[in-house]
Amino acid sequence: MFKSLDNKLKKSLMALGLGAAIAASGLANAGQFNIGTTATPEEIAGWDIDIRPDGMGLPEGQGTVEAGEEQYEALCATCHGLFGEGEGRWPVLAGGQDTLTEERPTKTVGSYWPYASTLYDYIRRAMPFTAPRSLSDQQVYDITAYVLYLNEIVDEDFVLTKDNLATIEMPNQDNFFVDPRPDVKNTRCMKNCADPKKLQIAGTLRGITPVGHFVEGADAPAASHDAQMEQEHNKEKVRKASLKGEEVTSSNGGGASALSESATAGQSTYDGACKVCHGSGLTGSPKIGDIDAWAGRIKQGMPVLVEHAIKGFTGDTGVMPPKGGRVDLSDKQVEDAVAYMVESSR
Amino acid sequence: MSKIIKGPSTRELMAQMVQESEHLSINDRRDFLRKGVAAAAGMAATTIAGSSIASEVNKANLPPNEPAWGKQLGHGVVEHPYGSPSKFENHVVRRTVPWLTADSIASISMTPLQDLKGIITPNGLVFERYHGGVPQIPVEEHRLIIHGLVERPIIFTMEDLMRFPSVSEIKFIECPANGGMEWKGAQMEALQFTHGMLSCCEWTGVPLKVLLEEAGVKPEGKWILAEGADGSHMSRSIPIEKALEDTLVVYAQNGEMLRPEQGYPLRLLNPGWEGNTSIKWLRRLEVGDKPWYHREETSKYTDLMPDGRARKFTFVQETNSVITSPCPEKPMVKPGFVEIEGLAWSGRGKIKQVDISFDGGVTWVPAKLKGLVLDKALTRFSLVTKWDGQPWLLQSRSIDETGYVQPTLSQLRKVRGGNSIYHKNSIHTWKVAPTGEVTNVQIT
Repeated sequence: MFKSLDNKLKKSLMALGLGAAIAASGLANAGQFNIGTTATPEEIAGWDIDIRPDGMGLPEGQGTVEAGEEQYEALCATCHGLFGEGEGRWPVLAGGQDTLTEERPTKTVGSYWPYASTLYDYIRRAMPFTAPRSLSDQQVYDITAYVLYLNEIVDEDFVLTKDNLATIEMPNQDNFFVDPRPDVKNTRCMKNCADPKKLQIAGTLRGITPVGHFVEGADAPAASHDAQMEQEHNKEKVRKASLKGEEVTSSNGGGASALSESATAGQSTYDGACKVCHGSGLTGSPKIGDIDAWAGRIKQGMPVLVEHAIKGFTGDTGVMPPKGGRVDLSDKQVEDAVAYMVESSR
Repeated sequence: MSKIIKGPSTRELMAQMVQESEHLSINDRRDFLRKGVAAAAGMAATTIAGSSIASEVNKANLPPNEPAWGKQLGHGVVEHPYGSPSKFENHVVRRTVPWLTADSIASISMTPLQDLKGIITPNGLVFERYHGGVPQIPVEEHRLIIHGLVERPIIFTMEDLMRFPSVSEIKFIECPANGGMEWKGAQMEALQFTHGMLSCCEWTGVPLKVLLEEAGVKPEGKWILAEGADGSHMSRSIPIEKALEDTLVVYAQNGEMLRPEQGYPLRLLNPGWEGNTSIKWLRRLEVGDKPWYHREETSKYTDLMPDGRARKFTFVQETNSVITSPCPEKPMVKPGFVEIEGLAWSGRGKIKQVDISFDGGVTWVPAKLKGLVLDKALTRFSLVTKWDGQPWLLQSRSIDETGYVQPTLSQLRKVRGGNSIYHKNSIHTWKVAPTGEVTNVQIT
């Protein structure tokens, strides 16, 4: 068994010292412990979501660029941008062709990804970010077709099917090769290993890493991602206010002890569904704890806010998708989460 | 036994400082050189960087006085059913660099290597890497399915898995992006951020080989897809040779069940390989005849070369090392005897030797390996010497049992350019100033 390994890979695995294990493994003689239950085809089918470049795993169905555009704009554009250009630090999906040798390459589906199957697989397993495994196979076909279209890999009238996905040629597909390391060979020199006069010493770019914990003393609040963002946010607020000559109080609502029952219940929904946008103020969403950003909204009253959150809303600063894309949430859960954000932001 | 290391001559150091200060403005440069001269003249080493950390000491608690805690009772048993570190150690925490990622849910934090002793990382300090946040999985509802090219597809409960004979092994886990922010230049001002995507635990579980034997792999089975149960359903293709060699299916770390952050209740562990292949919240293993080329092995975790082509399946974490004391967070305390300590590791086996340089790689001296020296585990090295306030350019260089010598940054850059993100295992440099301050610099 295991005789027909790809030669290149075999060579690299042998280099890792793994060759010996291949022989005499006796793997086919199953079940010496007889532990575990035989998995039924139905149990496997529900979890067997993976797609391979040869099309293995693709479900029945097809999708169009046109249908994909609508899905994409509702479910994906908040993070990835209307044209796949990426919002904030969220992944850029399109463009970047011929940049891989540049100083700052842009690695996108079109410029970098070797297989179209990866796109279907990834959308199906992990997207949209706030509601993974919520899309139908049909929606995944549609959105995959549209992202390929954004990358000019297919035309606008293209119909993506179970049968043609594996035949799509990606622009960068031939440019991956198996790891050749070790690729550099240093030697154990002990004396006169370099010319002291020729040493170039470059210092650290200052001020871009959080070092308060040892430079200024304890920085417990800055230990977390959120707290660091909060600090940055507050600094920015103070800076802006100082330009206007205003006095600033902490923007962190700090009303945690006074939360209503509904708000308390809404915290876990907030953490799992809303925080990804409202925790950072992504693409114009009101950031939790930002009193200024919420004041005008709170004035509209809870019924309006809850309705916008459930049905979706397009405002001056951004788009709120229905239930933030989490259509699995009940109206009550959304209402509680809104209460949590409102009470944390005044 | 201690070794006294003779530092570079004052003239050499001054030449270095001049070179180093060339990018500074005239005023900064004058300041910089004046401080340097003061140090070289032996006036330094009284002002020590980082002294602001020390909190105020209450003299009433110092000898000859009886301290407050000696005159009263403390709390009783089970006041804290699950104990925590002393409140005076609350600075020892994971930290992150927020701009690295879009959000904390798909992000990374770093282990405070500067505060750790020995080779084991405490469970609460193991670095975090999530692609969809930490799921809270009830242990009785977790399942692992093995299917695909097998004789009998099996579904395991956690109770099933814990009935198999178990093994416990000490192995490091490292993110392949550890140090990856510094391909183009030094920009992390602390050890925690330059090397903290690295931890080492004793892991307990079942060899994957045993589970595969239980299912019976068909002869054409060459690759295994491992998949997580979390919202990202993180997936990687693992060659079956690795699975049969030393991959573990793990449910415990450092003596207790896995932390949620580390995959509770079940994770994969591919010793010595890039951390993301050790899929957390493991729910499915599919045996196939080819790799799957999923997102985390195409779009991510492939290494872009200067010619625009990219390396795939760059699994192994090659030999690396770093000095953990002193470091930017732990500057030199005072002149006199000092133990230089650090960590070395290799994804290809055991550490054979670590050397230390005080002059930026011109001269090297052997360090001593101390404590356990284990396969694919963190290994602690040490060198006792004396510091009299002279500037140092401190480096460590590890050699593993295959004979591979940790490379210089120039050697890596020459082959890989500056955009490969992953697997930067080059020799690292700390600059020790006459004041005792330690900063991150790059030498080329």
